[in-house]
Amino acid sequence: MDNFRYIKPSTVDEAISSKREYGKKANFLLGGTDLFIAMDKGVITPEVVIDLKGIKTLKYLEEKDGAIFIGAAVTWTELIESEIIKKMVPALWEAADLVASVGVRNTATLVGNLCNAVPSLESGAPLYVRDAVVFLEGKDGKREVSVKDFFTGVKRTVLKDDELMTGLKIPVVKEFGEVYIKMGRYEGEDLAQAGVSVFVDKNNNYKISLSAVAVTPVRATKAEDFLKGKKLTDELAAEAAELALEAIAPISDIRSSKEYRIHMCRIMVKRGLIASVSRMETGVPALSTRLI
Amino acid sequence: MKENLKVVGHDAVRLDIVEKVLGAAEYTDDIAFGPNLLHMAILGSPYAHAEILSIDTSEAKKLPGVKAVITGEDYPEKFGLYLKDKSIFPVDRVRQVGEQVAGVVATSYEIARNATKLIKVEYKELPVILDPYDSIAEGAILIHPDLGNYVIEPWLEAQPGTNIGHLRRIRKGDIDKGFAEAETIVEGEYHIPHVAHTCIETHISVSKFSLDGRLTMWNSTQSPHTQRNIMAVALGMNHKDVRVIAPPIGGGFGGKAGISMEVMAAAGAKSCPGHPVKLRWTREEEFYNSSQRTGLRNKVKIGFKKNGKIIAFKHEMFWDVGASAEYGSNVVNATGFSATGPYYIPNVYIDSKACYTNNPTCSAYRGFGYSEFSFGIESTMDKAAKIMGIDAVELRRINAIKEGEGVAYDVPMNPNGLIECIDKVAEEIGWGIEEKSDDPNKIIAKGFASVWKAPAMPANESSSAFIKFSEDGSINVMVSGMELGQGLLTVMGKIAAEVLGLTLDKVRVELPDTDRNPYEWQTVASHVTWSCGNAVKRAAIDARDKILDIVQRAHFIDKSQLYLEDNGVKCTTQDSFYIPFSDFVITGIQTEHNTWVGGPILGSGMFMPEYTNAMVDPKTGLGGHPMVHYTVGAGAVKVEIDKETGRMKVLKMAEAFDLGKAINPDLSKDQINGGFVQGLGTAMWEQCIFDEKGKMLNDGFTDYKIPTIVDVPRDMNPILVEVPQPDGPYGARGHSEHTMIPVMPAIANAVANGLSVRIVDVPVTAEKIAMRMNDPKYKEEM
Amino acid sequence: MNHILKFNLNGEAVEVAVKSNEKLLDVLRDKLGAVSAKFGCGVAECGACTVLIDDLSVRSCITFAVEVEGKSVVTLEGLQADGPTKIQKAFIKHNAFQCGFCAPGFIMSATELISKNPSPNEEEMRHALAGNLCRCTGYQNIVDAMNEVAEDNKGGVK
Repeated sequence: MDNFRYIKPSTVDEAISSKREYGKKANFLLGGTDLFIAMDKGVITPEVVIDLKGIKTLKYLEEKDGAIFIGAAVTWTELIESEIIKKMVPALWEAADLVASVGVRNTATLVGNLCNAVPSLESGAPLYVRDAVVFLEGKDGKREVSVKDFFTGVKRTVLKDDELMTGLKIPVVKEFGEVYIKMGRYEGEDLAQAGVSVFVDKNNNYKISLSAVAVTPVRATKAEDFLKGKKLTDELAAEAAELALEAIAPISDIRSSKEYRIHMCRIMVKRGLIASVSRMETGVPALSTRLI
Repeated sequence: MKENLKVVGHDAVRLDIVEKVLGAAEYTDDIAFGPNLLHMAILGSPYAHAEILSIDTSEAKKLPGVKAVITGEDYPEKFGLYLKDKSIFPVDRVRQVGEQVAGVVATSYEIARNATKLIKVEYKELPVILDPYDSIAEGAILIHPDLGNYVIEPWLEAQPGTNIGHLRRIRKGDIDKGFAEAETIVEGEYHIPHVAHTCIETHISVSKFSLDGRLTMWNSTQSPHTQRNIMAVALGMNHKDVRVIAPPIGGGFGGKAGISMEVMAAAGAKSCPGHPVKLRWTREEEFYNSSQRTGLRNKVKIGFKKNGKIIAFKHEMFWDVGASAEYGSNVVNATGFSATGPYYIPNVYIDSKACYTNNPTCSAYRGFGYSEFSFGIESTMDKAAKIMGIDAVELRRINAIKEGEGVAYDVPMNPNGLIECIDKVAEEIGWGIEEKSDDPNKIIAKGFASVWKAPAMPANESSSAFIKFSEDGSINVMVSGMELGQGLLTVMGKIAAEVLGLTLDKVRVELPDTDRNPYEWQTVASHVTWSCGNAVKRAAIDARDKILDIVQRAHFIDKSQLYLEDNGVKCTTQDSFYIPFSDFVITGIQTEHNTWVGGPILGSGMFMPEYTNAMVDPKTGLGGHPMVHYTVGAGAVKVEIDKETGRMKVLKMAEAFDLGKAINPDLSKDQINGGFVQGLGTAMWEQCIFDEKGKMLNDGFTDYKIPTIVDVPRDMNPILVEVPQPDGPYGARGHSEHTMIPVMPAIANAVANGLSVRIVDVPVTAEKIAMRMNDPKYKEEM
Repeated sequence: MNHILKFNLNGEAVEVAVKSNEKLLDVLRDKLGAVSAKFGCGVAECGACTVLIDDLSVRSCITFAVEVEGKSVVTLEGLQADGPTKIQKAFIKHNAFQCGFCAPGFIMSATELISKNPSPNEEEMRHALAGNLCRCTGYQNIVDAMNEVAEDNKGGVK
């Protein structure tokens, strides 16, 4: 890869003003796991790399005002080691624990994962079912965007050239159950061929999100509406799983055929529903149990 | 007389473990070559099959830092181990994606790589062949139109005018009569894709032509002497002026056998005398430009008598050897002789064909073709067992080949413990005991396979060894067998220690350096414990004889009363007699006249099997003695399968091999565990995937999935059986490759046993299981 | 862009001239002689290049050298400054490696794990080491060695 100008601002303002100065010639660097490889392969060739790791204000993970706030510099490992995440956003915890490997999770970030916006991203589905909101900041100021409106396509987001995602918030909820299930080729490190998150609360409100089976993560609203207010049975779960498939448009690639992705999504939604309800009722989140 | 062994047969810590755990082992890329070091990068072909119309290197040469640009114009000759069909850099056409079209030497790798992008090559695309059936089809384009003109070993049968690089036939007995007499005939057709070795250390060579013309190469290699020979012949140099040094190697598995990219590094170095030139494959290049495992399409047809005895056996194998058969032709040859599996069969028909394709070149891979063909045989055996109503393990016992029975080429089988292996594995896995999963979605099933393998070697392969003593009575053992991780250093050290009465801490075994260490053919074929071990044993005996001779002359005790123990010499008739080696192995022994007897002790030994003969009748494969001996064994798995998702977990494995004598039992068990897991990768996940143009779609670990520490069974049961090999050191024979072979069929058989679905194409993925489970096409009756 | 990079390597302050695009793995190996970290894949998938940065295991093959300015980097060379660690001794005793090329990476990852969780159970341990690929061993001896370390550490807590 070609040499580049490396700058390490200490405030968000400095970072934004550098980005404004260099525009498309500059890239932000956080964990860098995706950026580095793209640069090494020559897929992107920035003239300037703006390392955000010097900005101390991006490193926060806290619960306040009815939400959990996660700063851009928080790594997957920090999420996994957080009791807040484990107790209050267990599906995200499960997703985090399935990202790549320890050596990558130690530097890679949730925000980087979102901004990279590949369809197989682990973080999409768990954040979709919790209606997370991301914080964007650019030369025109700050804005908050629902995570559901953040992605616009494969590797495409609403982020403007001079904007960066400084963090996100996840509303705190009580008396709920949720899961994340990943379809990989084996238990070792793999990119998700499909991901399913299911959320349920004590009023039998269900939320179902699927990732890696459409250009962006999706919510299976038809299945959610079908289940709304109903107490889950195995039969209802199976019916809802069938409806959930209407929300996805998976492709065939070397990792899986379209048909097997559909087959697996059906099973994952069904098992995810049953497991979420069970977790809510027992109060014991079965974290890290492999449901497939 | 039963030998009372002190070192051999006992467990020990590997001789190389400390240097590896402390990071002290200096692999090729770890060696400091100084500021003179240059770097090389390769331009690979984007096409799988194309004529090269022109190559323009002028822009690349102008780039500052570039020292040399090399193309086929500089090196038009072909090379290869058994069949010289491979180009250093091709002149006329490329035959696979990634084939090196040009190389650039520069002051940094970055510059070299950038320069390759400035080379302009004009190609004319040719039709691409990616499947062996297409390769042998009528009217197929010839990948090697000059096949008839290539230099080839006399025991290979190339078929000029076709895409068949070698054809091995076996015609034993009367196949038609055999099938006519059979009461049950079972057939199957199978497919094995290309897989890759994926050593964690990619190929690397650092080559240097000194200003006076010597060539020195530091190569990550299994074959230092073979590489020296090929380099010396290709360059018209004296062997003494070519030196190949083999530093520790980060995995081989056959992928670093013979020679491949090292010739390019030497070509780069030749253009820049006085500079070491480093060529190190990227992970992508490792997939394309080293070698892969042969793909196979095969048809198995077995005829049985009512009692389960095999009466006739027909096996047609169409090997996808890729763009070159320089080494793969011997895979085709070896399997042609052996593709019956470890069974006695009176009537055998085998055709083994090396089919050129435009896939990456294939060569040696742990198992040397036996994994591939055993999948079809062992799958068919299980099908047959069900059809005949005979237990699958019992069917294998019924047909297990015994000492003295004729193998496929009608030479008597060596002593072996196949039945013992089968029984021990069946017992360990709980064969016949039904088990239920705690999870209602899942079933538990078991699968079994028995296998064999012989070393595949030229008839006159050979090994040699030196042993030299130092002042303190310690020894350096000099061999050119290579430590690949299999434990060669420890095995050779123990054989020498046993003969010489040394404790293991007094033994150091040196890695190969063709200037210093004596000749070894190659470290392949699981033959070095046997072949190199014999040479070391003889070298140790030679040194022992010299020691005894000196002591006899100095102390006037007859040799017959002297023996070596506890790092010195003892006497059977005088309990108090003991002379430590440190007293005399360099200095000699002082006599009563104050004169000295002796001199520095050293020993040499050599070994070559003198009963082998590769020159068989090409029409029948009979009349020779192409293989030295077979190592037999069996393997089984217990798996848990989710009936909905098809996802499978191997809960338990058991494998037993008859290795004659375990020189170091722990390390032998490690070979079983490691080989099993490598086999598990090929059985469940691994496969090189190509698009219709021959481009590999998974040339990295992102999509080429090798087993990780979470994907392996928690219950591993390696079992050793010891029926001595008459001509092996302490009765030993090799078994490192064999450990992979049962895994693919055992997995497929477990799936068939559990879910009545027969997977005939590996890998046996969750997707295949789930999507075929209810498809009548794949149904196998219980 | 050129930098004079200052960081702590294996307990000693080092200063080295690097360009922005240089990889930490290459700088460690080619400029600072810390060759225990290996090149295996170049894209963070095999773990052979694992080093500790501020006590966390990191893939040095996808880290820009400039990112470690002011940080503390430990490679296998530094880990054993006072002799082989308990983990290394267990790996030796159990013949944990065959070709040995993946060993430094495994040892760094294992070191991080034990520093955070001195007595992991076997599944926790496997999960933590799943990013380090070994093609030779089938992992059994690595597991055995780590189980011994975990067991021994349990005793230490009592």
